Amino acid sequence: MDIQRGLAAGIGALVLAACQPADTPPETGDTSAAAETGTSTANSVSTDFTVDVSYHQLDNGLRVVLSQDHTVPTATVGVYYGVGFRNEPRGRTGFAHLFEHLMFQGSRNLPHGAFDNLIYGSGGVNNGSTRYDFTNYYEVVPSNALQAVLWAEADRMAFPDLDENQLNNQREVVRNEVFVNVINQPYGGWIWIDLPMAANENWHNAHNFYGDLSDLDAASLEDAQTFFDQFYAPSNAVLVVAGDFDREETLGWIEEMFGHIPAGDPLPEIDTSEPRQEEEKFAFIEDDLANQPALAVGYHMPPRGTPEYYAMAVIDQLLVQGDDSRLTQAIVNEEGYASGVFGGINLLGNAFNYNGPMLWTVGLIHDSEFTVSDVMTTLDATIEEIRTEPVSEADVERARTKLLADFYGTVDTSTRFGLVDLLASFALFDDDPSRINRITEGFQQVTPELIRQTAQEYLRPGNRTVLEVRLADEDGTTPEGEE
Amino acid sequence: MIGIAKGMSPMAKTSLRAALAAASLALLPAATVQAQIHEQPPIGEPVAFELPETRHFTLDNGLEVTFIPFGLAPTVDISVQVRAGNIDDGAQTWLADLTGAMMEEGAGGRSKEALAETIASMGGNINVGVGVHTTGISTGVLSQYGPDAVALLADVVRHPNLDADEFERVRANLVRDVDVSRAQPGSIADEAYRDLLFGADHPYGHILPTEEQLRGYTIEDVNAFYAEHFGAGRTRVYIAGRFDEAAMEAAVREAFGDWETGEPDSVEGATASAGPVVQLIDRPGAPQTTIRLGFPGVAIGDPDAPAMEVMNALLGGSFTSRLTRNLREDKGYTYSPGSGETWMLDGGLWTFNADVTAADTAAALRETFYEIDRLQSETPPHEEAQGIRNWLAGIFILQNASTGGLINQLAQRDFWGLPDDYLEAYVPNILAVSDEDISETARTYLPLDRMTLVLVGDLETIQADVLALPELEGARIITPDSE
Repeated sequence: MDIQRGLAAGIGALVLAACQPADTPPETGDTSAAAETGTSTANSVSTDFTVDVSYHQLDNGLRVVLSQDHTVPTATVGVYYGVGFRNEPRGRTGFAHLFEHLMFQGSRNLPHGAFDNLIYGSGGVNNGSTRYDFTNYYEVVPSNALQAVLWAEADRMAFPDLDENQLNNQREVVRNEVFVNVINQPYGGWIWIDLPMAANENWHNAHNFYGDLSDLDAASLEDAQTFFDQFYAPSNAVLVVAGDFDREETLGWIEEMFGHIPAGDPLPEIDTSEPRQEEEKFAFIEDDLANQPALAVGYHMPPRGTPEYYAMAVIDQLLVQGDDSRLTQAIVNEEGYASGVFGGINLLGNAFNYNGPMLWTVGLIHDSEFTVSDVMTTLDATIEEIRTEPVSEADVERARTKLLADFYGTVDTSTRFGLVDLLASFALFDDDPSRINRITEGFQQVTPELIRQTAQEYLRPGNRTVLEVRLADEDGTTPEGEE
Repeated sequence: MIGIAKGMSPMAKTSLRAALAAASLALLPAATVQAQIHEQPPIGEPVAFELPETRHFTLDNGLEVTFIPFGLAPTVDISVQVRAGNIDDGAQTWLADLTGAMMEEGAGGRSKEALAETIASMGGNINVGVGVHTTGISTGVLSQYGPDAVALLADVVRHPNLDADEFERVRANLVRDVDVSRAQPGSIADEAYRDLLFGADHPYGHILPTEEQLRGYTIEDVNAFYAEHFGAGRTRVYIAGRFDEAAMEAAVREAFGDWETGEPDSVEGATASAGPVVQLIDRPGAPQTTIRLGFPGVAIGDPDAPAMEVMNALLGGSFTSRLTRNLREDKGYTYSPGSGETWMLDGGLWTFNADVTAADTAAALRETFYEIDRLQSETPPHEEAQGIRNWLAGIFILQNASTGGLINQLAQRDFWGLPDDYLEAYVPNILAVSDEDISETARTYLPLDRMTLVLVGDLETIQADVLALPELEGARIITPDSE
């Protein structure tokens, strides 16, 4: 699959869509009036919920998504660049993430530290993150600071200050980040770094995306400039503003701040596809710091957006999400192998914010007294049931209800980061942020028969990789039961 | 640069809106191709954030109820906070956790599985969280199921099965969880740090139980803990979201109205003892050293609490803090330095945490001591101090602009017995902290000659350099050899 999407060029600052009629107010959440009348019943709570969305594009290709809601006087800004681990250069593992750090080190009109001072000093917070298919930068500020924040984001999109001293400083910061999150922690990277590396065949999906330390050491200022020129262009970016602002005024600011930045060159075509896996794979790592063994299992997902993909989202709910999930019931409650089972689609995000091959993952830390074979026998029995026996309508409905509640929990938060992330992902990967209001439709199409068919193909043992975390004092012989 | 500028008038907004109406936007850009803007746009006056109106009532048995109508999505969060936590463990560390874990195993004769499926069909999961002072039993469901969820949660709180058949498995889970915690350098450091500050005689001094301790607990211990510490007189219920108040009030009265008041609360706090004391814990080969540096602090209701918050944020408690700038952004010694306060019944703690490159351990401590000393001896520049005050005022909105955030903030106010207007007065109190108050607070509460310092790392690399630091002269030194 080619993760880079072309953009229709030269169409001007066309308003692509205004998905929400202007006269539809957002829900206010105020039910007190109904309660005061004394006439309310349990049915009087409205279940309507629509996200306000409008979608625009500047001449230089920058896609802009606005979502208004005036309930809290803050505004959230997200700038998403269509570059992540998958398209970082060979020999420069971890570079997408290292570069993310450099974007905080100053720009033409904001010397080092001034960006953070602007955000924090106005009463906000900011951060950034690097994922498979995007790198994002986001701020939430009192709404009176929105114009200044847009200006600051435009300043670093146009002219970041790529500086040798800052590169060296952030190289050390990132080295410490890898230490504190992976190398100096038990269970540091097993399930989110080692498992994808073992499960995937294509280098783009199978390299260490936190970065081999030698690659981080080799990264140069020239690499940074090349990377910036290639990927950090308006035509490869989405800007989302959500919260309390005036739409037309904000569009004016955006045009004024970002409109002058050159569009950038077309992105290189890269092939990120994975072959169909035929044979079950096994891998292990020895974790010197761990004192209980652990097990991770990853299955390749159906392509994003297909009916089977929506079925896998339902299967994820059935098998691993929540106390009612079948693997929790079997492995935790019945057998007592582990304190908990966790996993899901895209462990570094969610089912929506990626665009390419992906794993559905299950993980657990189990007692040494139980063998891998014990745990796999129970896991296999639970998964075979999904593959062979029809799931009840009630179970499917419960999974849909959980998905709906998850969606609400994602979009209705004080920072609006979850909302901004979905809008940006749907703009960046689907060119259609209004999909946020149709997010449940795919789940509605999932039938028990589609679940069975999907499980037959995607929950095959041949489609999975089993990764063991072994303790350091083990002798390295193959544990009983491993094939 | 942080000065407050005049806001844009509503008239100006209106005219901009007319000029930039969506339909005309497509025609504008060619004529308005801009250059980069070098001046930061002004930041206007912040719009006041108003906390939502809440409603409070008390049942005859003493149970307190607070309704918080808030939010956009049709969901409701229900949180039952019981004054029972690790502070009630006595010598049985984590007996509160074991009781909480057993409460998740079914209630009212319903199995854990049945309970999990019922709440999941409403979109929720039942979470039992055990803290130092309180146990929270909570869920979040789709709004239409609010009253049913109240009844279900009340069952968990009032009628947990506490089934002896589940006990051994649940206890084994906790043994496993403790074992995993003890592999983490942060937990190792925390355990030693608390022990130095509070000693063996108060639960504040115990972070983790030993395996032998845990294996000695029985289901009778759990039953006794539950009977002594759970009751309506020690319970507060918070309901936040979009819900029908009349229906929810009826549900709360029905579910909790006939619960016994229970045993009176007779908990006692403890005051941390000051150093100087330094403990070095060996973690051979560790690439980083995990640091805890702290002093006795203040309780949340203390008159010095606002000054303590501002001082903390300026010194180490925000991304723009001095310790972050120095240790991370200037020296690259660490990824995530930070300081924070822990509020306790008779006082509290101020603690600085960091994981630093092993070879830079002594240098990182030297810079930390330097920054503390500098803040004590020089009043911070007004612009810096004002930026920090503005930040705390701004993130107050983020802390309160969600159902979960509001529940946390109100539960904190109520638990600590703070005035009803605590939240309304919070921002004015922060803004009233003077620049000189910040230095004065650092002098009062961070006396370097009374420090408690714990280092977990590769002692062969760090010990000699660290012990040569002049600030450690005269401190009691605890090393593996001295024990």
